[in-house]
Amino acid sequence: MKIKLTSVMVDDQQKALKFYTEILGFIKKRDIPMGDHKWLTVVSKEEKDGVELLLEPMGFAPAKIYQKALFEAGIPLTLFNVDDIAGEYERMTASGVVFSVPPTAMGPVQLAVFNDTCGNNIQLIQVM
Amino acid sequence: MTFYSEQIQKIKKEFYPKDYLAKQVIGAKQYIDRQFADNINLTDLAACAFMSKFHFIRLFKLLYGETPHQYLVTVRIENAKRLLNSDRSISEVCTAVGFNSPTSFTGLFKKITGVTPTTFKKKINRKAIFKRHNYKSMMTFAQ
Repeated sequence: MKIKLTSVMVDDQQKALKFYTEILGFIKKRDIPMGDHKWLTVVSKEEKDGVELLLEPMGFAPAKIYQKALFEAGIPLTLFNVDDIAGEYERMTASGVVFSVPPTAMGPVQLAVFNDTCGNNIQLIQVM
Repeated sequence: MTFYSEQIQKIKKEFYPKDYLAKQVIGAKQYIDRQFADNINLTDLAACAFMSKFHFIRLFKLLYGETPHQYLVTVRIENAKRLLNSDRSISEVCTAVGFNSPTSFTGLFKKITGVTPTTFKKKINRKAIFKRHNYKSMMTFAQ
């Protein structure tokens, strides 16, 4: 058994693809039509054969309630590792990304939390 | 302030050491990251963090979830994985990342990655051959 894929729930797949590729810098890996939605995944530029991130549409109403509750509490749905959190914060802020937590020292890491514009808070981590 | 921000502050205050102590331990951890191939010992690392050996081990484990020695082994194995993806032999890689004994290298490599260095290298080679073969097939098809 292997872990090859994880997912984030998104309210609009096309908008999510734009944000995750153009702002975050990921690359589209799979785009397979499936009725009203798609099997849409992205990967890191640095690990093209690494874990895929599924931009998962929310066709299930209770998922929206769960996502909203997490978002309002400021809780990140998932996290991504970066090598230079200060640089990413500066770059993303300049691109209009809104951070609810700026880079903050937390024991062995620096963390920051941003709004992915698709209904989620996402955390960035730099292990120091 | 959101619930999450409050939790971050709470955990930081109650669980983690003060920032200056964390920075000292982080400095020693980064020393391991840079000098992993050298003969690193606990006395040097603790001195690098300006604290006693006992205090250093306790804080390192609190911050990183493993002892400095466990972390050193992890870093060496990660670098070994990178070097095995080259023409170097397994014994050359073993020495290059700081292990003295090939037996202990093989044992620790298997414990951490789940496979022996030999199996790991074979897998990499198979992947490379498969990629080359696919590329050749594509080029033939394109002509």
